[in-house]
Amino acid sequence: MIRHAACITIVLLVLVTLPVAQGSPDISGFWELSFDSRRMPSANLAPAVTPAVLAKQAEKDAHAIRWCNFLGLPAAMDSPRPINIRQGRREIVVNFETVAVPRHLYFRAAHPNMDIFDPTTNGDSIARWEGDTLVVDTIGFDGDKGVTMIPGGGYRTSDSHLTERYRLLNDGNVLSVTFTWEDADVFRTPHTYEFRYLRAPRLYEAQPPLACNPFDDARTTFLSQPGSSRE
Amino acid sequence: MKYVRVLALSLTLATALAAQQVAAPIPDLEGGWVRIDIDGSGSFNGLAAKFARAVLTPAAQAASAEQAKRAAQPRFDFARDQSKPKAAGEGYVVTDGNCTLPGGVEPNSAAFHVVQGKEQVLIVRENPGMPRTIYMDGRAHPALSRITPTAVGHSTGRYEAGALVVETVGLTQGNVTAGGWRTPETKLTERYRVSADGQRLTITYTWDDPKVYVKPHSYQIVAERTPPGSWAFESWCDSSDPGQRLSIVPPQQK
Repeated sequence: MIRHAACITIVLLVLVTLPVAQGSPDISGFWELSFDSRRMPSANLAPAVTPAVLAKQAEKDAHAIRWCNFLGLPAAMDSPRPINIRQGRREIVVNFETVAVPRHLYFRAAHPNMDIFDPTTNGDSIARWEGDTLVVDTIGFDGDKGVTMIPGGGYRTSDSHLTERYRLLNDGNVLSVTFTWEDADVFRTPHTYEFRYLRAPRLYEAQPPLACNPFDDARTTFLSQPGSSRE
Repeated sequence: MKYVRVLALSLTLATALAAQQVAAPIPDLEGGWVRIDIDGSGSFNGLAAKFARAVLTPAAQAASAEQAKRAAQPRFDFARDQSKPKAAGEGYVVTDGNCTLPGGVEPNSAAFHVVQGKEQVLIVRENPGMPRTIYMDGRAHPALSRITPTAVGHSTGRYEAGALVVETVGLTQGNVTAGGWRTPETKLTERYRVSADGQRLTITYTWDDPKVYVKPHSYQIVAERTPPGSWAFESWCDSSDPGQRLSIVPPQQK
């Protein structure tokens, strides 16, 4: 009898809590990279990407760093501070504590018409769940803005296509993100690398972003020395 | 008998849990919003013209007046001879050229976007500045001695009678809409309420601080939901561009 009542209790509790418990994983949290978080194989670059082309691109990136331009992708996802990922019903917002604007990952089936979309440093991102993996598809980049160098080699252009796969590991304490860049002008084959973010302590408090003052002369002198920027 | 008692207990528990969910409905605030000019003032300066003016304590009046005096000093165009007008199309230097902005608690001319997570509500503007992180996990504000005041402060929230209620402290000292004033100790309470059709968001701001206000200072801002399929614009600013500092409209001087 008691067992019967206990079963009814469990069924009732499950029914009551069902709307909260059901659905896709929730990747919300503050996530940070550690010294052993990056797996970046060398990119297989297209023949057109010569050392001279890479040097010119590095020069553009150095300018963006010097003038505190918004980083954009992929640099923003390599932030030295925890990134704040918040998952809602219709979108996920990713916020950075560095010089970058937030990302919006929309749960939508299609990108907007690129003829009327102004290219940006973060591009336009649409997301969907494939089982327990969040797949994010991004196009609409501006190849002339922000820091463009891609971990492992190559750089972002206006034609780049990025696919990210987010998956929780280790009981939700690690967030694996694989980044795959496709761009026929830059890569011979799609270039994939993985970052594993560690969940920050539960009571972590968001901090003001890292300061960047383009008119700080000491900083400018530091950055003008060989090897000080991403070359 | 035991069976009946356990069953009754389980029914009571289930009913209580269900009632809790009904009693605290979560309004759907998620998405993009744009502030609207409900009074038809036609200008940014006129948006708050009909708000009730704040009634400040003498000490807050003095602090506010001091701030107004500092703000009246020409800050960026100081090298120019103020007696000579600019030629047509010649820019006025109106910013220091730095692209980082502090952000703020109220919406400005840019759209703002709300995402509602289980532990946080995040509000981000389309222009630069700190986002608003609203902790919904029951944590308390840290002691003010342990935090650096910012333009968005430290916010905690809860759902109450169909509204999101946000309490904020730890804001930087400065002006508040409609003649108000704030210090890091001043408490701001906001109530976010969505209209029945989900298309309008009314935010009621109430500033409370006995050292600053004779009575709590309150006003409302209304925003309209952006159309379905809209996306957030990404602002761009380049400090290396000298034009970034300029405006062809003369800066307002008091």
